[in-house]
Amino acid sequence: MSDLTQYIRQQRSTKSLLLMTHVIYGYPTINDSLAMMRLLLDQGVEILEVQFPFSDPVADGPAITHACHQALADKPQLEKCISDISKLASEYPQSRVLLMSYLNPVMQSGPPKLATLMQKGISGIIVPDIAVEQQQLISPLTDAGIEPIWIITPDTQPDRLNTICKQASGMLYCVSRAGVTGESTDKNQALGKYLNRIGQHTELPLGVGFGISTAEDIQALLGHADIAIIGSAFLNAYNQNGLKGVHTKLAELKQAIT
Amino acid sequence: MMNQDGQFGQYGGSYIPEILFNSQQELLKAYRDAMSDPSFISEVKDQLQHYSGRPTPLTYCNRLSAAIGGAQIYLKREDLNHSGAHKMNNVIGQGLLAKRMGKRRVIAETGAGQHGIASALVSARLGLDCTIYMGAHDIERQYPNVFWMKQLGATVIPVEEGSATLKDALDEALRDWSSNYADTYYLIGTSCGCAPYPEMVSGFQSVIGEEVKEQAQQQFGSAPDKIYACVGGGSNACGIFLPFLNDDVELVGVEAGGRSDSPGDHAMRFNTDQARFGIAQGFATKFLQDEQGQLQPTHSISAGLDYVGVSPILANLEEQGKVRMTQARDTEVLQAFQQLASNEGIIAALESSHAIAAGLREAADMDPSQKIVINVSGRGDKDIFNIAKALRDEPFNDFIQSYLAQENS
Ligand SMILES: Cc1ncc(COP(=O)(O)O)c(C=O)c1O
Repeated sequence: MSDLTQYIRQQRSTKSLLLMTHVIYGYPTINDSLAMMRLLLDQGVEILEVQFPFSDPVADGPAITHACHQALADKPQLEKCISDISKLASEYPQSRVLLMSYLNPVMQSGPPKLATLMQKGISGIIVPDIAVEQQQLISPLTDAGIEPIWIITPDTQPDRLNTICKQASGMLYCVSRAGVTGESTDKNQALGKYLNRIGQHTELPLGVGFGISTAEDIQALLGHADIAIIGSAFLNAYNQNGLKGVHTKLAELKQAIT
Repeated sequence: MMNQDGQFGQYGGSYIPEILFNSQQELLKAYRDAMSDPSFISEVKDQLQHYSGRPTPLTYCNRLSAAIGGAQIYLKREDLNHSGAHKMNNVIGQGLLAKRMGKRRVIAETGAGQHGIASALVSARLGLDCTIYMGAHDIERQYPNVFWMKQLGATVIPVEEGSATLKDALDEALRDWSSNYADTYYLIGTSCGCAPYPEMVSGFQSVIGEEVKEQAQQQFGSAPDKIYACVGGGSNACGIFLPFLNDDVELVGVEAGGRSDSPGDHAMRFNTDQARFGIAQGFATKFLQDEQGQLQPTHSISAGLDYVGVSPILANLEEQGKVRMTQARDTEVLQAFQQLASNEGIIAALESSHAIAAGLREAADMDPSQKIVINVSGRGDKDIFNIAKALRDEPFNDFIQSYLAQENS
């Protein structure tokens, strides 16, 4: 069992749901984004997902896209990003840190070089524009023990679900279109069914992301998922009220878990 | 040419978010299905002929050839397509495919607006809803095209993100497709994007080269010595080149040389070390990018040539030495535009004027027994504001001022 899986299992033995929060490295500045990461880790967020910004983030919605473009003004370097967040990871051994970016920045810096850097403290990598069939592109990373985190959607067909689950390790990232604010009850039931269907193919922990922003969204995941993944909601909170906004939002979501 | 995974050598392929996996597979299957159905092929042919006005002529340029004093110059007149550009060839094909797949809505990205207009026209004709993504910066440069898209019933959504040009419009269209794939067809305007788009768009555009082949035989009894086409995404170039790949014809692609070689001043993906192999926007190709892999801003006097990537088919053909890439600068393009207009009475698009500029430049050093074909990918009416501005035409300026004064009084 990988360190990441083991960690999630262990945390889950005392908590009904873990939080994975998504921060954009360099937004609004590198220092400010590191401050936001520290705040989240200080508050005991279990998994921190750090997005290295890309000019053309096609899998991201407007809030994150805009933040990526803003972050690029400072010309962030992927190697520096990795060394910054590895340092955080070593300061907060009670949490886990994942890197998220797109294929092009990863390929330009070169997976072999990144693998060496990431081995110091980064548990996994999420690359939304690579499919499980193309995993050889990042094999230097996975060979180095960095978990490739594969994405599943409500439209993933059974045979493909099977393929992905067979290749997967660490955890699975389940995109949920049903997880947005103001969900009706039957959509929540659909979400439960969807997650149960995945659960039949794998023992790995399931993280659910995409539009999760409120206490109700969190409650709908209890009993179905292991991890709630939250991105834009923190970004919006930050944009409205800075670190204080993030703090308040986190408290609100945590309250929904206990 | 393409392998199982939709790759052309190391280029092409499909690198998309998981949410689009099924839709991409559905498209691939529907496309293969349609292309092996004679009734679909004849429907496309019929629309090309009776709606778009094909075949387009191959026009010999007597006065221009004499003025240049080298090779004989022939123009392939894609400007005479309905909507005034080669874009129509592809949109008719994909529009009919969308209909065949039972989609009710079409989305498209557009740079110069020619693909947007063609998409809006065909959507109106086929009874499909149409949404066009266009960079806010391009909207400013090509407002007349936006006006027509709206008149045709399309919704035009300005894209403010990034460089607010074609690449950003493409990103937005991909996002729309990710949310609405159930009832929406993504109609890509050039031979880029994930498989099967490069192959499909080039396939629909190949009607250009097939006609040239026949017309050249009829009009001068052989294949041309050289063929020139401008290269934005690469669809008109693929369209005129592909049918000649096995012939003894030099194929020359012309990129936007812009103002200078400085980063951000041009859109050259070949004759520069600012472009490298990369994977973005769903496919692998040569992208203008920095050392961190961030796609870079581009410039061209023509909004249709400033795409940051290029067709994987052309990237592969260039690598194999089957296509030669050159460039034309903004100023040279304007001169070529004027030279063609005044010598032959043809108003070419600024995009096409790149091909004309390179063709004229090289024709001068060729023998009068040789023949070149230049693809006039579109007509220049849409460029009236940009050309008037670049030429600093005072009377045009006065006209706009007095028109606005009348409106406001
Ligand atoms: C008239 C015209 N020519 C050429 C192009 C460039 O596209 P491509 O390289 O796909 O032919 C455009 C694109 O908008 C165009 O409008």
